[in-house]
Amino acid sequence: MPENPIDNSVDLPPFARSWTQLYTIVMGSLAVEILLFYVLMRWLS
Amino acid sequence: MSILDWSVLAVTLLVIIVYGIVRSRGSKSMDDYLLAGQSLPWYHVGLSVMATQASAVTFLSAPGQGFSDGMRFVQFYFGLPLAMVVLSVTFVPIFHRLKIFTAYEYLESRFDVRVRTLTSGLFLLQRGLSTGLSIYAPSIILSTILGWNIYWTNLLMGGIVLVYTVTGGTKAISYTHLQQMAIVTFAMALAGYLTVKLLPEDVSFVDALHVAGKAGRMNLIDLKFDPDSRYNLWSGLIGGFFLQLSYFGTDQSQVGRYLTGQTIGQSRLGLLMNGLLKVPMQFLILLVGVLVFVFYQYNPSPTFFNKQETDKLKNSQYANAYQIAEIKHQNLTTQRQKAVIDMEMALKTDNEAGQEAAGAVLRETDDALKSVKTDVTKLIQKNNPTADTNDVNYVFLRFVLDYLPHGLIGLLIAVIFSASMGSIASAYSSLASTTVIDIYKRLIKSDSDDAHYLNVSRWSTIGWGIFCIIVAQFANQLGSMIEAVNILGSLFYGVILGVFVVAFYVKSIGGRATFWSAIISEVLVVLSWYLNLTAFLWLNAIGCLLVVGIAWLLQRTLFRAS
Repeated sequence: MPENPIDNSVDLPPFARSWTQLYTIVMGSLAVEILLFYVLMRWLS
Repeated sequence: MSILDWSVLAVTLLVIIVYGIVRSRGSKSMDDYLLAGQSLPWYHVGLSVMATQASAVTFLSAPGQGFSDGMRFVQFYFGLPLAMVVLSVTFVPIFHRLKIFTAYEYLESRFDVRVRTLTSGLFLLQRGLSTGLSIYAPSIILSTILGWNIYWTNLLMGGIVLVYTVTGGTKAISYTHLQQMAIVTFAMALAGYLTVKLLPEDVSFVDALHVAGKAGRMNLIDLKFDPDSRYNLWSGLIGGFFLQLSYFGTDQSQVGRYLTGQTIGQSRLGLLMNGLLKVPMQFLILLVGVLVFVFYQYNPSPTFFNKQETDKLKNSQYANAYQIAEIKHQNLTTQRQKAVIDMEMALKTDNEAGQEAAGAVLRETDDALKSVKTDVTKLIQKNNPTADTNDVNYVFLRFVLDYLPHGLIGLLIAVIFSASMGSIASAYSSLASTTVIDIYKRLIKSDSDDAHYLNVSRWSTIGWGIFCIIVAQFANQLGSMIEAVNILGSLFYGVILGVFVVAFYVKSIGGRATFWSAIISEVLVVLSWYLNLTAFLWLNAIGCLLVVGIAWLLQRTLFRAS
């Protein structure tokens, strides 16, 4: 099997400086979505 | 279906198969065949993971769920982004660094060969049977609605996937996943757009959302912690997290997808992309169902969406009772049409009292319509005890066939095939890789060359394909498909997850304790199900907890020295 390069930040997208930051973005997006859904539900009910 | 629909369907399927074969030529080693040479970029990994999870039933059932129950099902996916983060932090680096083909290989390095063989055996049994049901579930819906022969539909659904999976392996699966996701996204977006266009001219998209909201269909978030409520914020976050963690962390059909990433980082990015996109994607699919609901507020709707069953009722001894129910239903839909027009006027004039009054009538008629439907369902069951009395899976397809233009019907049938092919291909591949790596190479013939194992992998894929199609041909004797798939998964998933939980998090427990604990737990889980001791969904948690608890006990008593 081919060698896997040792994990580093090469693969990170330009908007994140570390994996921890990227994980925070993913979890933060979920929090924002839940908030938006709640606002949308209240607005439409 | 018209000739145009048939042409669109045939061309779409042909393009997928040919593209998959052409782009994946040259799989000359097992690594190429099973893991695409670990050469794929993050977006391939992400789309492949998404296509594997999204089966045909996702695109048939979710809009139906939105139609009948509103948006609350979206909460079921809230645990997924969290599970993707945990997988990226723990599972992905371990699996990548050990350079493994299957998740179960890791169990040998952590415990011993017995635990690895037992767990891979449980996976093969569960995945082999549930893939058969995954072939049958969309086939029965298509064959019922379009009048196709169920046996040929099963053969077509399970067989065309074999063509490119056997020749191109994982690379073919991944390339076709890209296409399948593109087709599915385009067709569902077009279906949503056309549904809005089918609404009366003076009803905008925002108006439609307001009508849905007033009728109780925009129920996106339920903050109440109620164990009896199936979908709320907490069951989604906590229950959903464990469910997704076990599915993505221990099911080879998913592990095999993210192991194809070029690096740990690319695999992680693929999973995180899934974590970012899954909730919005489910939101939009459910929204299509809600828009279909709004459409039927202005138009007459069927009493029961599986027309074949109501046609049988019309020619039975229950014809009169059914006719009475139909008249009640028609009166209620007329009442509903009036209420929705009142609602629209109240919205346009900002008349809050009017909105409340019309909203109350909408909800009342909705409840009354549900009650009529329950009566019809009872009649269907009396007339045909083996009939599928749940019409949620038929709502969207019935709407598509009755109201969407020709061409798009063919495309949406292609979506069902594409989505089905995506998850079935991953299942075939995972069954073949587990059979060859964890059973054949490890226990039967460990000293052969790569070409031999590649050949065995191909034959193993064919063998599992035939097995799954045979299971699908017998599946009509199992009753409700979704329930059958869930029961089957619940019998094995909990125990497999329990083994991985011990492996990752309880380092003091060894192989012997885990092996015997898994066997005892599996027997207890099957016994609990057989004696009907608890609802089957709880078997996942029970199986996992039993493995951890019994292994811990055995390690501290019988296997203390080991």
